[in-house]
Amino acid sequence: MQLDQRKAGDALIVTPLEDRLDARVATDFKERMIELIASGNTIIVLDLSKVEFIDSSGLGAIVSSLKRMGGRGELVVCGLRETTMTLFKLTRMDRVFQVFDSEQQAVSALSGNKG
Amino acid sequence: MSTRRLEQNPGPESGTRRHAALTVSAFQDAIRHHARYSLGNKWERCSSRELFMAVAFAVRDALIDRMLDTEDRYQQADPKRLHYLSMEFLLGQSLRNNLSNLGMLEPCRQALRTMGVDLDDVLESESEAALGNGGLGRLAACFLDSLATMGMPGYGYGINYEYGLFKQAIDSGYQREKPDNWMAHGNPWQIERPDEACIVPVYGRVEHGIDRAGGYNPMWMDWKIIIGVPHDMPIVGYGGNTVNVLRLYSARSSEEFDMQIFNEGDYLKAVEQQIASETISKVLYPADSIEAGRELRLLQEYLLVACALRDIVRRYSKSHEDFDQFPAKVAIQLNDTHPALAVAELMRMLIDEYAQPWEIAWEMTQATLSYTNHTLMPEALEKWPISLLEAVLPRHLQIIYEINRRFLAQVASMWPRDHERLRRMSLIEEGEQKQVRMVNLALVGSHAVNGVSTLHTQLVRTSLAPDFAQLWPDKFSTKTNGVTPRRWLLQANPLLADLITNTIGDGWITDLGKLRALEPYTQDADFRQAFMAMKRVNKVRLARLIYDVSRVVVSPDALFDVHVKRIHEYKRQLLNVMQIVHQYLCMIQDGQEPPVPRVYIFAGKAAPGYWTAKQIIKLVTSVGQVINNDPRVKGLIKVVFLPDYRVSLAEQIVPAADVNQQISMAGTEASGTGSMKFAMNGAIIVGTYDGANVEIMQEVGEENIFLFGLQVEAVRQMRERGSYHPRDYYHRNPHIRRLMDAFGSNLFCPNQPGLFRWINEQVLDHGDPYLHLADLESYIDTQGRVAQTFQDREGWVCKAILNVARTGQFSSDRAIAEYAKEIWNIQPVL
Repeated sequence: MQLDQRKAGDALIVTPLEDRLDARVATDFKERMIELIASGNTIIVLDLSKVEFIDSSGLGAIVSSLKRMGGRGELVVCGLRETTMTLFKLTRMDRVFQVFDSEQQAVSALSGNKG
Repeated sequence: MSTRRLEQNPGPESGTRRHAALTVSAFQDAIRHHARYSLGNKWERCSSRELFMAVAFAVRDALIDRMLDTEDRYQQADPKRLHYLSMEFLLGQSLRNNLSNLGMLEPCRQALRTMGVDLDDVLESESEAALGNGGLGRLAACFLDSLATMGMPGYGYGINYEYGLFKQAIDSGYQREKPDNWMAHGNPWQIERPDEACIVPVYGRVEHGIDRAGGYNPMWMDWKIIIGVPHDMPIVGYGGNTVNVLRLYSARSSEEFDMQIFNEGDYLKAVEQQIASETISKVLYPADSIEAGRELRLLQEYLLVACALRDIVRRYSKSHEDFDQFPAKVAIQLNDTHPALAVAELMRMLIDEYAQPWEIAWEMTQATLSYTNHTLMPEALEKWPISLLEAVLPRHLQIIYEINRRFLAQVASMWPRDHERLRRMSLIEEGEQKQVRMVNLALVGSHAVNGVSTLHTQLVRTSLAPDFAQLWPDKFSTKTNGVTPRRWLLQANPLLADLITNTIGDGWITDLGKLRALEPYTQDADFRQAFMAMKRVNKVRLARLIYDVSRVVVSPDALFDVHVKRIHEYKRQLLNVMQIVHQYLCMIQDGQEPPVPRVYIFAGKAAPGYWTAKQIIKLVTSVGQVINNDPRVKGLIKVVFLPDYRVSLAEQIVPAADVNQQISMAGTEASGTGSMKFAMNGAIIVGTYDGANVEIMQEVGEENIFLFGLQVEAVRQMRERGSYHPRDYYHRNPHIRRLMDAFGSNLFCPNQPGLFRWINEQVLDHGDPYLHLADLESYIDTQGRVAQTFQDREGWVCKAILNVARTGQFSSDRAIAEYAKEIWNIQPVL
């Protein structure tokens, strides 16, 4: 799968360039996230603005990524489209992840937290 | 005869306040336009089916204009809206109804006539929306008509079954089922709305996680997705001022193909996955009781509930920022227990998706939902195995457990140490296989519960849910069913409708109580004559239909004695056949001729897996075969079975009936709306003290109805004491013995010996749970009185007229007004 990544301050912005985050790409996505976490990224903003649909495998992969962080650092999400937001709420993942409207809001909130 | 026209109904022919009815030439233009641009054909080359589509599209344009205006009106007024959730909507054909309610029937007829086309041929080309089994589904359709006619903001929510109720053919006297692919040629009424599709998760598991604040966070994971795509059917009220919407959902897979499987070359498997999802809305279950554990049925019910609630919340959220106003703006009616999952789903949405505290969510859920019970039959009371719910809807099961825990704590605090009461009231039935009692879930989660006749509501209180009635006495009420006079009188019986309108004006169409003004006309010889002439024309038409489908010749001067409804033991078609056989044997063995010639007309479908019901059909056809061809009968008794009972067939039978049979064992039929249609059309009811019969008697007068047999209390005592011994009746009454022996012999099955021996076994040896023989003597007497009364045609027609005049109470408008005022708290938006 295609995954865009770039730094914004201390945060790593990760943007899946897929319109569907589903069973077809979930395993690959999870492995890529785990690599990023293993390589020392502790503040990650997952930008889902390109994702139009996410299924339970995709959501599971995001939860696994959070678990892999082991309570050290932050993994937040931003840019959720309506369908994705519905599914986040449906699974109550919005209570586990901080959800921001945009990448800028996420980065600024995380910098605020740090300060 | 008077031909006054006392008042004008504000609707039809002149068009509505906002929309003029189409002129004849405008109608022609619209039909030509749609033939060309919607169907790609010149109208002259169109088949009947294509012409139907072109006319329907022309009508649909008018419906859509009014539908959009209605929605604008609602948005401006922000009224409380009613949402009617039902697994069945037995609409029947729509074109005539839409034309009539829009006031466009005559312009359309004229437009087509000048094009050389007969409107009746076009009307016949329409496939029926048979999205229901019987009374429950037809009630839902009548209610939609009343809501729109009364200008009430009311929406229907249902399933867009690809296959409606099966088509019935009769082959060698047996029922054969054929699929009803009612949308095979397209459906002009539906507007597909893919942009408003709903995501419906199913299956998966609950992961017991922790939220950011360290609290318990149950997460529903590993689900699969079904997509519910809405299809809107405009529902126009009489006068055309209000067009509400019936929203029917089709299941779709979450994507066209699983592309990975597709890319791996397994095209068929990819398609199969898609088909599996779409199977959910494929077929209507052809029975009112569903075998427990049918996963597909559970998925259907959840598809309806999940899509409807998401849509309701979406619409509410458009104009409200929080949920404070939710119960003040939203009413949701559960049509029987099938949508009872709404209790758990609304709780889940409010708690999980909108982060409402449990107590607030529960208050809103109860204040919003109300529940109509339609049956006391144990097999129709839905229960879902815990194991199945856990697999399909794990988060809902968790919520149901929590509702139950809190509810039982409340019960225990009121009745400490009453463990038996807790066991009865629990949402969970313990046992070898634990099950969720959907009735209890609906009772607990609704602020109002209603039965569908006074008698039925009393039985709900005393036998179905006595503990709940004791806990919440004010929660229970009666809302006696009704039928729409637009379809069942104005459209089905235009001759009678014209006679009434020419006599008392047309105000009855929207205020059926006005039919009372007909009462004095029983003294008007001209009116009686015109009434009899109307009935005879309808009977001639039905006689022609009977000949066309069964090749049995019947006289329109005979008494038409009609028994049409689903075939079920509790409805006791068998009791009717017993009486017919008795009459036959009296004639051929005792030489007793019936006082009037009589045609017994049966119709109805049996659930495909219901052996006894299917045997009853075979019995009726076999008895008919013997009696109709026995020269000793001299044509004085005829027995016919009309195949494929459906709304459009009912529309032809009801206006032609002299007598309607409603003879269920007392305490088994919740309402029986069929009787209301018949009485409204001047048929006299022969019935038991069951369902709405009792209320019909109160309205029409006991001298204008023939009620007989055991009443509910007597039935209860007889069953409790075990005092019903069918063999006693057999030995004591030689007539009963003779007719039962006739079933045991091969009189009605000379080529299949022993075919009807099951009747003797079930009735005499296996307890006869529906007490046929206990009621048979009084039934035979009553049927004899009916024949004698029919001899006096003038006296009979007075009774028939009084039945019409006194059925105002049984309009669905009255029922809707009661629901609106006492349960939903909704107002017209005109």
